[in-house]
Amino acid sequence: MIEADVCVVGAGAGGAVVAAELAEGGANVVLLEQGPAHNPDSFTARPPQMLARLYRDGGQTVTFGTPPIGLPLGRGLGGTTMVNSGTCFRTPPRVLERWQGEFGLELSEASMRPHFERVERALSVSEVTPELAGNNASVARRGAERLGWSHGYLRRNAKGCVGSGVCAFGCPTSAKQHTGITYIPRAERAGARILTGVDVKRVLVKGGRATGVDGGEVEVRAPTVVLAAGAVHTPLLLRSSGIDSNELGRNLTVHPATAAFALMDEIVDMARGVPQSFFVDEFASDGIMLEGVAGPPSYAAIALPLSGRRHQEAMSRYRHLAQFGLMVSDKPRGRIHSVAGRPVIRYDLDPRDLKRFRVGIRRLGELFEAAGALEVYLPLPSGVAPERARALDLKLIGFHPLGSARADARASHGVVDSNLAVHGVDGLHVADGSVVPSALGVNPQLTIMALATRLAFKLLGASAP
Amino acid sequence: MSDPLREFIGASPAVQRPALRALVGLGRRPRGAALLKRIAPADQVATGLLAMARYDDPARAKQLGWDAEAVIARGRELRRREGRP
Repeated sequence: MIEADVCVVGAGAGGAVVAAELAEGGANVVLLEQGPAHNPDSFTARPPQMLARLYRDGGQTVTFGTPPIGLPLGRGLGGTTMVNSGTCFRTPPRVLERWQGEFGLELSEASMRPHFERVERALSVSEVTPELAGNNASVARRGAERLGWSHGYLRRNAKGCVGSGVCAFGCPTSAKQHTGITYIPRAERAGARILTGVDVKRVLVKGGRATGVDGGEVEVRAPTVVLAAGAVHTPLLLRSSGIDSNELGRNLTVHPATAAFALMDEIVDMARGVPQSFFVDEFASDGIMLEGVAGPPSYAAIALPLSGRRHQEAMSRYRHLAQFGLMVSDKPRGRIHSVAGRPVIRYDLDPRDLKRFRVGIRRLGELFEAAGALEVYLPLPSGVAPERARALDLKLIGFHPLGSARADARASHGVVDSNLAVHGVDGLHVADGSVVPSALGVNPQLTIMALATRLAFKLLGASAP
Repeated sequence: MSDPLREFIGASPAVQRPALRALVGLGRRPRGAALLKRIAPADQVATGLLAMARYDDPARAKQLGWDAEAVIARGRELRRREGRP
């Protein structure tokens, strides 16, 4: 049995940050991670292999519902920060205002600023340069400029990036500053014990307060427990720990996304440069965000919405293919159940979000046409126009699961309070995407990390430097 | 089935694995592929997996301008030279 001041479960965007900040603040911290520590020497830049090795269930987690949605989740030290695109947005001010008004959370733009600044320093966040962004971004930029749409280069957590083009499949240069190579080493240097391969079964709760964690062969006794297993698995852990809340496992948003391709006259070489380096936020207020996406031929081959000879012909011109994605800020339609200890996710696309996809797909087509595309391949079955698309016609992936143990000042409406403490249980906190109470409309890693930073300093009884 | 595709399917949830193997097996045979054409979602999965495996082949990928080995070698060299993790 291990004794500690704080036991953190999960080493992704939330858990790694909490562990490092607490350890550096003098706390005796144990961090338990279910997955392994990945060695970049084993990376191959080949998507099928890297999906199998770096992702939970090989990146093949799928929701049940209409339509089924792929939900790729990272696994190991760094969690999904190791395999995401590295895009860094602060929580939009309008979202923070909504959280204050609708959920009673004490999270203003001013109070969150020091936490964002601290995370951004730790992750070396900076804007992608046009040279590093590559030709795929140039195509989208040309289209956006001709249409007069608001756009820009994304801010990312990368240092010394050379545009390897495989952010989602393990950064070969270790340029991406994911938590596995930033916060985890900091936590270790400050004395935190990091244990991998530990499958936590439940939080130990006695007399209304957390006393530790049952990790099978590893048991940790600690008066403070921080769960950060992610929005899909944290609700299951809370439920298996006897936490009873009507909101647990509900209110899931996934930020569903899709992407279109275009055949260009010029050579694009989409995987040379930063795959997600450019955005078009002209329609962000309508919940539609356009962002870059790209990858090697095997990735493009599975994403290209063509079949048979047309697929082969388009792939033979892979060097001339451009790709751009769209994400919809969705309504909380998901629910997570546990079947034989595994998560089963039910999610049906809201009709209002279907309308957003219809509009967004049309906008993607306009973007590429304005950029001079020879052909545009929309992510719809042959012969289906965007305005006629049904939910089942969409090929969606959700990259940002949030909200399944949402924060709300009222115990009747949320699982955790404004300080991310579980309602009704002393000493138990949550620090991952599950606490985010509504869709953000932007990539969430910075929000999760800033909330985790805030939690760590609350637990230390100090303010963020 | 190529090793990377075998590894990819082997990492999928246990309940999905037999179905994925069966779909890929069908998709590789002319009669099976014709059968799959009648079931659009199954056909999408099978053809998607087979396409991913086909273009993951290093020789084919190089013809399309993508050299995974060179990307990895450059990464190793950068990490070694600059002392990156």
